[in-house]
Amino acid sequence: MVQLRFRPDLAIVVVCVGLYVGSAAQVRFPLGGTALSLAVPTISSPVLALGNAVGTTWQVFWSGQRNLRSTLGELRRLRLESAELHRANQLLSAEVTALRQGSRLLAAYPSLADQAVLARVIARDLPRTNTLRLDRGSRDGIQIDGPVLAEGGLVGRVDRVLEHACRVQLLTHPAAAAAAAVAGVQQEALLVGGDQPHLTGLSPYTQVPLETPVVSTGSEGIYPPGLLFGTTLEARNDGLFTVVPVRLAANAAEVTAVLVLAPASRGAT
Amino acid sequence: MRLAAAFLVALLLQLGLTASHLWWVLAACQPLLLVVVATARRLDPVGVAWCGLAAGLASDAFAERIIGPGGIAGAVAGFAVALVVRRFEMEGPLYWIVGSLLVSACSELTWMLVLVTLGVRPDHTFSGVLATVVMTGAAGLVVAAGERALRAWQSPARHRRRVLRRL
Repeated sequence: MVQLRFRPDLAIVVVCVGLYVGSAAQVRFPLGGTALSLAVPTISSPVLALGNAVGTTWQVFWSGQRNLRSTLGELRRLRLESAELHRANQLLSAEVTALRQGSRLLAAYPSLADQAVLARVIARDLPRTNTLRLDRGSRDGIQIDGPVLAEGGLVGRVDRVLEHACRVQLLTHPAAAAAAAVAGVQQEALLVGGDQPHLTGLSPYTQVPLETPVVSTGSEGIYPPGLLFGTTLEARNDGLFTVVPVRLAANAAEVTAVLVLAPASRGAT
Repeated sequence: MRLAAAFLVALLLQLGLTASHLWWVLAACQPLLLVVVATARRLDPVGVAWCGLAAGLASDAFAERIIGPGGIAGAVAGFAVALVVRRFEMEGPLYWIVGSLLVSACSELTWMLVLVTLGVRPDHTFSGVLATVVMTGAAGLVVAAGERALRAWQSPARHRRRVLRRL
Protein backbone atom coordinates (compact mmCIF):
# COMPACT_ATOMS: atom_id res chain seq x y z
CA MET A 1 0.00 0.00 0.00
CA VAL A 2 1.34 3.36 -0.99
CA GLN A 3 1.72 5.73 1.93
CA LEU A 4 0.84 9.31 1.07
CA ARG A 5 2.86 11.93 2.84
CA PHE A 6 1.92 15.62 2.87
CA ARG A 7 4.67 17.72 1.43
CA PRO A 8 3.91 21.42 1.74
CA ASP A 9 6.21 22.42 -1.10
CA LEU A 10 4.52 20.13 -3.53
CA ALA A 11 1.11 20.86 -2.10
CA ILE A 12 1.38 24.54 -2.73
CA VAL A 13 2.38 23.95 -6.31
CA VAL A 14 -0.59 21.66 -6.75
CA VAL A 15 -2.88 24.20 -5.14
CA CYS A 16 -1.54 26.94 -7.38
CA VAL A 17 -2.09 24.82 -10.44
CA GLY A 18 -5.58 24.09 -9.20
CA LEU A 19 -6.20 27.78 -8.67
CA TYR A 20 -4.99 28.50 -12.17
CA VAL A 21 -7.35 25.96 -13.61
CA GLY A 22 -10.12 27.33 -11.45
CA SER A 23 -9.35 30.85 -12.62
CA ALA A 24 -9.51 29.74 -16.22
CA ALA A 25 -12.85 28.15 -15.51
CA GLN A 26 -14.09 31.36 -13.92
CA VAL A 27 -13.00 33.26 -17.01
CA ARG A 28 -14.94 30.90 -19.22
CA PHE A 29 -17.95 30.61 -16.92
CA PRO A 30 -18.22 33.70 -14.75
CA LEU A 31 -19.65 33.15 -11.29
CA GLY A 32 -22.60 35.19 -10.21
CA GLY A 33 -24.95 35.25 -7.25
CA THR A 34 -22.80 32.97 -5.17
CA ALA A 35 -22.74 33.05 -1.41
CA LEU A 36 -19.34 34.71 -1.56
CA SER A 37 -20.61 37.57 -3.68
CA LEU A 38 -23.27 38.16 -1.03
CA ALA A 39 -20.90 37.72 1.88
CA VAL A 40 -18.27 40.15 0.67
CA PRO A 41 -20.49 43.26 0.71
CA THR A 42 -21.96 42.21 4.03
CA ILE A 43 -18.53 41.87 5.62
CA SER A 44 -17.21 44.96 3.89
CA SER A 45 -19.99 47.35 4.78
CA PRO A 46 -19.17 47.93 8.49
CA VAL A 47 -15.48 48.26 7.69
CA LEU A 48 -16.20 50.70 4.91
CA ALA A 49 -18.54 52.62 7.19
CA LEU A 50 -15.76 52.85 9.75
CA GLY A 51 -13.31 53.96 7.06
CA ASN A 52 -15.74 56.57 5.85
CA ALA A 53 -16.29 57.80 9.37
CA VAL A 54 -12.55 58.16 9.82
CA GLY A 55 -12.30 59.91 6.46
CA THR A 56 -15.14 62.26 7.28
CA THR A 57 -13.64 63.07 10.66
CA TRP A 58 -10.32 63.81 9.03
CA GLN A 59 -11.99 65.99 6.42
CA VAL A 60 -13.83 67.90 9.13
CA PHE A 61 -10.61 68.30 11.05
CA TRP A 62 -8.75 69.36 7.94
CA SER A 63 -11.41 71.82 6.85
CA GLY A 64 -11.40 73.15 10.40
CA GLN A 65 -7.68 73.66 10.14
CA ARG A 66 -8.11 75.34 6.82
CA ASN A 67 -10.87 77.53 8.22
CA LEU A 68 -8.66 78.46 11.13
CA ARG A 69 -5.94 79.38 8.69
CA SER A 70 -8.29 81.46 6.56
CA THR A 71 -9.72 83.06 9.68
CA LEU A 72 -6.26 84.03 10.83
CA GLY A 73 -5.55 85.41 7.36
CA GLU A 74 -8.78 87.37 7.47
CA LEU A 75 -7.88 88.70 10.90
CA ARG A 76 -4.47 89.80 9.62
CA ARG A 77 -6.09 91.46 6.64
CA LEU A 78 -8.64 93.21 8.83
CA ARG A 79 -5.92 94.42 11.16
CA LEU A 80 -4.05 95.92 8.22
CA GLU A 81 -7.25 97.46 6.95
CA SER A 82 -8.00 98.82 10.40
CA ALA A 83 -4.53 100.35 10.62
CA GLU A 84 -5.02 101.86 7.17
CA LEU A 85 -8.40 103.28 8.16
CA HIS A 86 -6.92 104.59 11.39
CA ARG A 87 -4.23 106.36 9.39
CA ALA A 88 -6.79 107.72 6.94
CA ASN A 89 -8.92 108.85 9.85
CA GLN A 90 -5.98 110.69 11.37
CA LEU A 91 -5.29 112.36 8.04
CA LEU A 92 -8.93 113.32 7.68
CA SER A 93 -8.97 114.63 11.24
CA ALA A 94 -5.92 116.71 10.42
CA GLU A 95 -7.68 117.95 7.28
CA VAL A 96 -10.74 118.89 9.26
CA THR A 97 -8.61 120.66 11.84
CA ALA A 98 -6.79 122.54 9.12
CA LEU A 99 -10.05 123.45 7.43
CA ARG A 100 -11.51 124.67 10.69
CA GLN A 101 -8.39 126.65 11.38
CA GLY A 102 -8.51 128.10 7.89
CA SER A 103 -12.15 128.93 8.31
CA ARG A 104 -11.51 130.69 11.60
CA LEU A 105 -8.58 132.44 10.00
CA LEU A 106 -10.70 133.79 7.18
CA ALA A 107 -13.35 134.83 9.64
CA ALA A 108 -10.78 136.61 11.80
CA TYR A 109 -9.48 138.73 8.94
CA PRO A 110 -12.43 139.33 6.65
CA SER A 111 -10.86 142.41 5.09
CA LEU A 112 -7.77 140.46 4.04
CA ALA A 113 -9.54 137.37 2.81
CA ASP A 114 -9.86 138.60 -0.76
CA GLN A 115 -6.19 139.45 -1.10
CA ALA A 116 -4.83 136.42 0.70
CA VAL A 117 -4.12 132.83 -0.16
CA LEU A 118 -5.09 130.18 2.32
CA ALA A 119 -2.26 127.70 2.66
CA ARG A 120 -1.56 124.64 4.68
CA VAL A 121 1.63 123.98 6.57
CA ILE A 122 3.21 120.88 5.11
CA ALA A 123 6.50 120.97 6.95
CA ARG A 124 8.06 122.82 9.82
CA ASP A 125 11.61 123.09 11.04
CA LEU A 126 11.54 125.20 14.13
CA PRO A 127 14.69 124.07 15.94
CA ARG A 128 17.16 124.46 13.09
CA THR A 129 16.01 126.83 10.36
CA ASN A 130 12.96 128.50 11.95
CA THR A 131 10.93 127.98 8.81
CA LEU A 132 7.63 126.58 7.70
CA ARG A 133 6.86 125.03 4.36
CA LEU A 134 3.47 125.76 2.82
CA ASP A 135 1.60 123.90 0.13
CA ARG A 136 1.11 126.96 -2.05
CA GLY A 137 3.61 128.43 -4.45
CA SER A 138 4.05 130.81 -7.33
CA ARG A 139 1.24 129.12 -9.26
CA ASP A 140 -1.10 130.22 -6.52
CA GLY A 141 0.11 133.79 -6.57
CA ILE A 142 2.51 133.55 -3.67
CA GLN A 143 5.37 135.98 -3.96
CA ILE A 144 8.47 136.52 -1.98
CA ASP A 145 8.15 138.65 1.16
CA GLY A 146 4.46 137.92 1.39
CA PRO A 147 3.39 138.26 5.04
CA VAL A 148 2.11 135.10 6.61
CA LEU A 149 -0.71 135.34 9.05
CA ALA A 150 -1.96 132.70 11.41
CA GLU A 151 -5.11 132.72 13.45
CA GLY A 152 -3.36 134.28 16.42
CA GLY A 153 -1.33 136.81 14.54
CA LEU A 154 1.62 137.24 12.23
CA VAL A 155 3.96 134.29 11.80
CA GLY A 156 6.60 135.54 9.42
CA ARG A 157 7.19 136.20 5.76
CA VAL A 158 7.75 134.18 2.65
CA ASP A 159 11.43 133.97 1.90
CA ARG A 160 11.48 131.35 -0.85
CA VAL A 161 8.92 130.55 -3.48
CA LEU A 162 8.67 127.43 -5.59
CA GLU A 163 6.02 126.56 -8.10
CA HIS A 164 3.90 124.50 -5.73
CA ALA A 165 5.33 125.39 -2.36
CA CYS A 166 6.94 128.19 -0.47
CA ARG A 167 9.04 128.65 2.62
CA VAL A 168 8.19 130.99 5.47
CA GLN A 169 10.83 132.66 7.56
CA LEU A 170 9.38 132.79 11.04
CA LEU A 171 9.57 135.75 13.34
CA THR A 172 11.73 133.58 15.58
CA HIS A 173 14.38 133.44 12.88
CA PRO A 174 17.49 135.30 14.04
CA ALA A 175 17.45 137.38 10.85
CA ALA A 176 13.80 138.34 11.11
CA ALA A 177 12.92 141.95 11.74
CA ALA A 178 9.78 144.04 11.51
CA ALA A 179 8.58 147.48 12.40
CA ALA A 180 6.23 147.32 15.36
CA ALA A 181 4.37 149.45 17.79
CA VAL A 182 3.21 148.83 21.29
CA ALA A 183 -0.29 149.92 22.11
CA GLY A 184 -0.13 153.02 24.28
CA VAL A 185 3.47 153.79 23.34
CA GLN A 186 4.06 156.51 20.82
CA GLN A 187 7.41 155.37 19.53
CA GLU A 188 7.87 152.86 16.81
CA ALA A 189 10.12 149.94 17.63
CA LEU A 190 11.94 147.22 15.80
CA LEU A 191 10.88 143.67 16.42
CA VAL A 192 13.97 141.50 16.16
CA GLY A 193 13.78 137.73 15.85
CA GLY A 194 15.61 135.05 17.78
CA ASP A 195 14.75 132.47 20.34
CA GLN A 196 13.09 135.22 22.28
CA PRO A 197 11.88 137.91 19.87
CA HIS A 198 12.12 141.35 21.34
CA LEU A 199 11.45 144.98 20.62
CA THR A 200 14.34 147.34 20.48
CA GLY A 201 14.85 150.94 19.43
CA LEU A 202 12.69 152.35 22.17
CA SER A 203 14.13 155.21 24.22
CA PRO A 204 15.65 154.25 27.55
CA TYR A 205 13.29 153.95 30.43
CA THR A 206 10.23 153.81 28.23
CA GLN A 207 7.35 152.51 30.25
CA VAL A 208 5.94 149.50 28.51
CA PRO A 209 3.10 147.77 30.29
CA LEU A 210 3.05 144.01 30.50
CA GLU A 211 0.83 142.00 28.20
CA THR A 212 0.32 144.89 25.85
CA PRO A 213 -0.36 144.06 22.21
CA VAL A 214 2.46 144.57 19.78
CA VAL A 215 1.26 145.28 16.26
CA SER A 216 2.85 145.89 12.92
CA THR A 217 3.28 149.40 11.56
CA GLY A 218 4.24 148.53 7.98
CA SER A 219 7.25 150.82 7.94
CA GLU A 220 9.58 148.04 6.77
CA GLY A 221 7.38 147.54 3.70
CA ILE A 222 6.52 143.92 4.31
CA TYR A 223 3.84 143.55 6.96
CA PRO A 224 0.56 145.41 6.70
CA PRO A 225 -0.01 147.75 9.60
CA GLY A 226 -2.24 146.86 12.46
CA LEU A 227 -1.62 143.12 12.53
CA LEU A 228 -0.77 141.50 15.81
CA PHE A 229 2.72 140.24 16.48
CA GLY A 230 2.25 139.33 20.12
CA THR A 231 2.25 140.77 23.59
CA THR A 232 4.91 142.38 25.64
CA LEU A 233 6.78 140.83 28.50
CA GLU A 234 8.80 142.64 31.16
CA ALA A 235 10.83 145.48 29.62
CA ARG A 236 14.42 146.20 30.56
CA ASN A 237 17.04 148.80 29.71
CA ASP A 238 19.90 147.61 27.59
CA GLY A 239 22.40 150.38 26.88
CA LEU A 240 20.74 153.14 24.93
CA PHE A 241 17.47 151.35 24.35
CA THR A 242 14.64 149.81 26.20
CA VAL A 243 14.35 146.19 25.20
CA VAL A 244 11.00 144.52 25.44
CA PRO A 245 10.72 140.78 25.01
CA VAL A 246 7.67 139.77 23.04
CA ARG A 247 5.56 136.67 23.37
CA LEU A 248 4.42 135.90 19.85
CA ALA A 249 0.70 135.52 19.40
CA ALA A 250 0.91 132.70 16.90
CA ASN A 251 2.60 129.53 18.01
CA ALA A 252 4.42 128.26 14.95
CA ALA A 253 4.56 124.79 16.44
CA GLU A 254 0.77 124.47 16.29
CA VAL A 255 -0.11 126.40 13.19
CA THR A 256 -1.62 124.22 10.47
CA ALA A 257 -3.28 126.79 8.23
CA VAL A 258 -2.14 130.27 7.39
CA LEU A 259 -3.06 133.19 5.22
CA VAL A 260 -0.38 134.38 2.87
CA LEU A 261 -1.05 137.95 2.05
CA ALA A 262 -0.50 139.18 -1.43
CA PRO A 263 2.21 141.75 -1.90
CA ALA A 264 -0.44 144.15 -3.05
CA SER A 265 -1.66 144.30 0.51
CA ARG A 266 1.60 145.82 1.66
CA GLY A 267 0.30 149.30 1.45
CA ALA A 268 -3.17 148.52 2.69
CA THR A 269 -4.19 149.99 6.00
CA MET B 1 -3.03 32.84 16.72
CA ARG B 2 -1.23 36.13 16.47
CA LEU B 3 -0.78 35.51 12.78
CA ALA B 4 -4.51 34.94 12.36
CA ALA B 5 -5.28 38.11 14.29
CA ALA B 6 -2.80 40.10 12.24
CA PHE B 7 -4.26 38.62 9.09
CA LEU B 8 -7.77 39.61 10.09
CA VAL B 9 -6.76 43.12 11.10
CA ALA B 10 -4.85 43.57 7.85
CA LEU B 11 -7.79 42.33 5.85
CA LEU B 12 -10.16 44.73 7.57
CA LEU B 13 -7.67 47.53 7.12
CA GLN B 14 -7.32 46.74 3.45
CA LEU B 15 -11.08 46.86 3.09
CA GLY B 16 -11.36 50.03 5.12
CA LEU B 17 -8.76 51.84 3.08
CA THR B 18 -11.06 51.73 0.08
CA ALA B 19 -13.62 53.90 1.86
CA SER B 20 -14.73 56.77 -0.31
CA HIS B 21 -14.06 59.44 2.30
CA LEU B 22 -10.41 58.52 2.57
CA TRP B 23 -7.67 59.72 0.27
CA TRP B 24 -8.07 57.64 -2.89
CA VAL B 25 -4.37 56.74 -3.07
CA LEU B 26 -4.69 54.80 0.18
CA ALA B 27 -6.78 52.20 -1.61
CA ALA B 28 -3.63 51.04 -3.39
CA CYS B 29 -2.09 49.99 -0.08
CA GLN B 30 -2.12 46.22 0.61
CA PRO B 31 -1.69 45.59 4.33
CA LEU B 32 -2.27 41.86 3.77
CA LEU B 33 1.04 41.68 1.98
CA LEU B 34 2.72 43.11 5.07
CA VAL B 35 1.47 40.12 6.99
CA VAL B 36 3.23 37.98 4.43
CA VAL B 37 6.41 39.98 5.01
CA ALA B 38 6.00 39.58 8.74
CA THR B 39 5.85 35.79 8.42
CA ALA B 40 9.10 35.72 6.44
CA ARG B 41 11.09 35.96 9.68
CA ARG B 42 9.37 33.04 11.37
CA LEU B 43 8.35 30.61 8.66
CA ASP B 44 10.27 28.82 5.98
CA PRO B 45 9.77 29.98 2.34
CA VAL B 46 7.06 27.43 1.68
CA GLY B 47 5.20 28.49 4.82
CA VAL B 48 5.45 32.11 3.74
CA ALA B 49 4.19 31.07 0.32
CA TRP B 50 1.14 29.46 1.96
CA CYS B 51 0.54 32.65 3.86
CA GLY B 52 0.89 34.66 0.65
CA LEU B 53 -1.53 32.33 -1.06
CA ALA B 54 -4.11 32.93 1.66
CA ALA B 55 -3.56 36.65 1.51
CA GLY B 56 -3.90 36.69 -2.25
CA LEU B 57 -7.06 34.63 -2.18
CA ALA B 58 -8.57 36.90 0.45
CA SER B 59 -7.65 39.92 -1.64
CA ASP B 60 -9.23 38.36 -4.69
CA ALA B 61 -12.37 37.47 -2.81
CA PHE B 62 -12.85 40.86 -1.23
CA ALA B 63 -11.93 42.71 -4.40
CA GLU B 64 -14.54 40.66 -6.22
CA ARG B 65 -12.07 39.57 -8.84
CA ILE B 66 -11.46 36.14 -10.34
CA ILE B 67 -10.40 34.06 -7.36
CA GLY B 68 -7.08 32.42 -7.98
CA PRO B 69 -4.58 34.71 -9.70
CA GLY B 70 -4.14 36.74 -6.54
CA GLY B 71 -3.47 33.58 -4.56
CA ILE B 72 -0.87 32.39 -7.03
CA ALA B 73 0.71 35.83 -7.07
CA GLY B 74 0.73 35.96 -3.26
CA ALA B 75 2.35 32.55 -3.03
CA VAL B 76 5.08 33.48 -5.49
CA ALA B 77 5.67 36.83 -3.78
CA GLY B 78 5.80 35.22 -0.34
CA PHE B 79 8.27 32.60 -1.49
CA ALA B 80 10.45 35.23 -3.16
CA VAL B 81 10.47 37.58 -0.20
CA ALA B 82 11.26 34.73 2.20
CA LEU B 83 14.19 33.69 0.04
CA VAL B 84 15.56 37.21 -0.17
CA VAL B 85 15.14 37.85 3.54
CA ARG B 86 16.97 34.63 4.36
CA ARG B 87 19.63 35.09 1.76
CA PHE B 88 20.51 38.63 2.87
CA GLU B 89 19.63 38.13 6.53
CA MET B 90 17.59 41.29 6.62
CA GLU B 91 16.65 42.87 9.90
CA GLY B 92 15.12 46.06 11.17
CA PRO B 93 13.73 48.79 8.94
CA LEU B 94 15.50 47.43 5.86
CA TYR B 95 13.65 44.16 6.27
CA TRP B 96 10.28 45.86 6.33
CA ILE B 97 10.95 48.34 3.55
CA VAL B 98 12.65 45.96 1.13
CA GLY B 99 10.24 43.21 2.04
CA SER B 100 7.13 45.27 1.45
CA LEU B 101 8.45 46.67 -1.82
CA LEU B 102 9.54 43.26 -3.02
CA VAL B 103 6.39 41.43 -2.03
CA SER B 104 4.11 44.03 -3.62
CA ALA B 105 6.16 44.21 -6.82
CA CYS B 106 6.37 40.41 -7.11
CA SER B 107 2.70 39.98 -6.34
CA GLU B 108 1.60 42.57 -8.88
CA LEU B 109 3.88 41.31 -11.63
CA THR B 110 2.89 37.69 -11.10
CA TRP B 111 -0.76 38.62 -10.97
CA MET B 112 -0.41 40.50 -14.26
CA LEU B 113 1.40 37.57 -15.80
CA VAL B 114 -1.24 35.10 -14.71
CA LEU B 115 -4.00 37.28 -16.06
CA VAL B 116 -2.21 37.65 -19.35
CA THR B 117 -1.92 33.89 -19.69
CA LEU B 118 -5.61 33.57 -18.89
CA GLY B 119 -6.43 36.10 -21.58
CA VAL B 120 -8.07 38.51 -19.15
CA ARG B 121 -7.58 42.23 -19.27
CA PRO B 122 -6.21 43.42 -15.89
CA ASP B 123 -8.31 45.94 -14.00
CA HIS B 124 -5.33 48.24 -13.58
CA THR B 125 -2.24 49.08 -15.54
CA PHE B 126 1.32 50.11 -14.80
CA SER B 127 0.25 53.18 -12.83
CA GLY B 128 -1.85 50.95 -10.57
CA VAL B 129 1.09 48.61 -10.08
CA LEU B 130 3.30 51.55 -9.22
CA ALA B 131 0.74 52.95 -6.79
CA THR B 132 0.43 49.57 -5.10
CA VAL B 133 4.18 49.17 -4.75
CA VAL B 134 4.64 52.70 -3.47
CA MET B 135 1.79 52.64 -1.00
CA THR B 136 2.64 49.18 0.32
CA GLY B 137 6.25 50.27 0.63
CA ALA B 138 5.10 53.34 2.53
CA ALA B 139 3.07 51.11 4.83
CA GLY B 140 6.15 48.99 5.35
CA LEU B 141 8.05 52.10 6.29
CA VAL B 142 5.39 53.02 8.82
CA VAL B 143 5.49 49.53 10.30
CA ALA B 144 9.28 49.69 10.49
CA ALA B 145 9.11 53.01 12.30
CA GLY B 146 6.48 51.64 14.66
CA GLU B 147 8.50 48.54 15.39
CA ARG B 148 11.59 50.61 16.09
CA ALA B 149 9.65 52.88 18.41
CA LEU B 150 8.18 49.86 20.21
CA ARG B 151 11.59 48.30 20.64
CA ALA B 152 12.99 51.54 21.99
CA TRP B 153 10.07 51.77 24.40
CA GLN B 154 10.52 48.19 25.60
CA SER B 155 14.29 48.20 25.62
CA PRO B 156 16.14 47.11 28.78
CA ALA B 157 18.27 50.24 28.56
CA ARG B 158 15.19 52.41 28.91
CA HIS B 159 13.99 50.27 31.76
CA ARG B 160 17.33 50.67 33.51
CA ARG B 161 17.24 54.43 33.02
CA ARG B 162 13.79 54.58 34.56
CA VAL B 163 14.88 52.52 37.53
CA LEU B 164 17.96 54.68 38.04
CA ARG B 165 15.86 57.80 37.89
CA ARG B 166 13.65 56.56 40.67
CA LEU B 167 16.55 55.84 42.97
